[in-house]
Amino acid sequence: MLKGADIVLQCLRAEGVDLVFGYPGGAIMPLYDALDGSGVRHILTRHEQGAVFAAEGYARVTGKVGVAMATSGPGATNLVTGIADAKMDSVPLVCITGQVRSALIGTDAFQETDVFGVTLSLTKWSRLVRTIDEIPEAIAEGFHWARSGRPGPVVIDIPTDMLKAKQEFSGPVKFTPHARPADAKADGGFTDTIVALLQQSSKPVALVGAGAKISGAIPELRRLLDHLNIPTFATVHGLGAVPQQAAYYLGMVGMHGTRAANTALHETDLLLVFGARLDDRVTGDPSRFAPHAKIVHFEIDPAQLDRVRPCNLPVIGNLADTIPAFDAELRRHALPDFAAWRSVACGPERAELDPRGLAQPTIRFLDELFGRLPKDSVILADVGQHQMWAAQRYHADSPRGFITSGGLGAMGFALPAAVGVQLAKPDTCVLCVSGDGGFQMNIQELATVHRLGLPIKMVIIDNKYLGMVRQWQQLFYERNYAETDLSDNPDFVDIAKAYKIHSFRVKEDVMREFPVSQETGDQIDRFLHSPEPELLVFDCAPEANVFPMVPAGAALSEMLLEEEPTQ
Amino acid sequence: MNAFQIRYRNTQGTLMRIMNAVSRRALDLHYVHAEAAEHDHQVTLVLEVNQKQVGQLYREWYAIADVIHAGSGPAQATEWNSPHPPAGVTIDEPRPAARA
Repeated sequence: MLKGADIVLQCLRAEGVDLVFGYPGGAIMPLYDALDGSGVRHILTRHEQGAVFAAEGYARVTGKVGVAMATSGPGATNLVTGIADAKMDSVPLVCITGQVRSALIGTDAFQETDVFGVTLSLTKWSRLVRTIDEIPEAIAEGFHWARSGRPGPVVIDIPTDMLKAKQEFSGPVKFTPHARPADAKADGGFTDTIVALLQQSSKPVALVGAGAKISGAIPELRRLLDHLNIPTFATVHGLGAVPQQAAYYLGMVGMHGTRAANTALHETDLLLVFGARLDDRVTGDPSRFAPHAKIVHFEIDPAQLDRVRPCNLPVIGNLADTIPAFDAELRRHALPDFAAWRSVACGPERAELDPRGLAQPTIRFLDELFGRLPKDSVILADVGQHQMWAAQRYHADSPRGFITSGGLGAMGFALPAAVGVQLAKPDTCVLCVSGDGGFQMNIQELATVHRLGLPIKMVIIDNKYLGMVRQWQQLFYERNYAETDLSDNPDFVDIAKAYKIHSFRVKEDVMREFPVSQETGDQIDRFLHSPEPELLVFDCAPEANVFPMVPAGAALSEMLLEEEPTQ
Repeated sequence: MNAFQIRYRNTQGTLMRIMNAVSRRALDLHYVHAEAAEHDHQVTLVLEVNQKQVGQLYREWYAIADVIHAGSGPAQATEWNSPHPPAGVTIDEPRPAARA
């Protein structure tokens, strides 16, 4: 006879789980009581949101399912932002929540929340366990849905009496999915159509999104792109998928994308999309998105097709299957010579402007940091201006090397997610870049970093504003900086010291020297190679802005390249 | 108006997920009826939708784990305008509220 809690842990082990992130509380205490000796290591964060973001970080960097645990009521509701984040960014995540005992469900009992209902629209699948018999099946099915197809979040809510009850247990079960219409895959016929479209095209481009990484088809994709040799760009989640040195690669596309990428996307007559949702941050005004283009959309999730802009040819299926099929067919045909188009789209006249204005020192600082990172480091960016600067300056080839909350844009993501990344990759340099606003949203996780001795390199780009909102207020709300002033921030260096984490401040003035002084370079090197956690606070000009920028509702061709000169 | 028939396995939350695809778009829902259908269940929804929303709904419904099939056709106004609640159903007199 085993307790329900022991059955949960044995089923987790059967799914390959050896690490979970969580925060204990009343209803989930039986599960915590059973942890010792289970083979499942638990990481205590200091807030449930920290736990779910850490689980996401672990999942995003490994491709495995991340697991978060919380108690009923407030514990479970504190997971909600992470669940929404995992849904938007296709992150495999299983959240196990304790629930009040079965007899109290529906009575507004202490710490009772309808977690199943609250998370219904955010999850891919969920289950409120009713009997102890259901536990093995619920866990097996939950993990199946979390990792299959387009990955996503799952919630398994278990009443506390089910965790305490005892039952004969014959071992974890396997879930066999039933056939679903959504599993329909593209047949081979699409390849002929795309080849014909390419032969008719004079300005083809390729757009790479997160699906390329999730599918594990990066080598196949790179081989295909090398063969196509057409202007190519990536979404924020596609960064690292395309070799940076490739002459056809134009960088990031979208609201803060490069002018070369956005211009090529506006001019193209054939857009090949590989695993991207084409959300509004990528398309700008959908009615003027790629206005001359036919669109071929390689996508695993049919629900993502035609959301913003209809495509001409959907290719449904895993990129690991569809890209090799396309590539093989493509090599049997002669393609037009796209050299003239490539020389325009990738030419020097569309190269990025050197950083100028108030943002210049911060951009140089990020360049120094990123340029001195060991190979295969992982960079996490929080949400805001620093996120876009970091995305613009990310020039590594590591497919899972740049991690951020892209779809949901959840401030406070980066620090706890870095905990999950560092635990998954203990020998990798993990650099966490946050703003002063976002860092304070999960600042309590400094305690987790210290407790575990994780050598995370934390950077705060401190402009004493909610910078991205302030930038919009400056550009679109006549500088009415309503409630974005954070000039009364605490001293982050002192705060880190209180958590026993070494920290120091770098003034932006040192970045006005170019190249930077030996002393500054050494300081950054020491920071990046320290075996301990470290916090670096970088003073950023309060009114520095991110450019290029496509204003909300504008076409990509209407991007602002730099600050309008002030009178 | 369009009538949609969605066939699904009657697992926890599946009907709510089907309905959520409607409610998140703030679509007017004129009629809904769910019932057992052979080994599965079927829900009929009558909605005011445009063509783009039809495509989005289909794809979102098919993304739900236990949806088996989604189909549609033009709604027959007389069929969906029956009295609510159905004429054969009686409603008990409300009990007086308990007072502290």
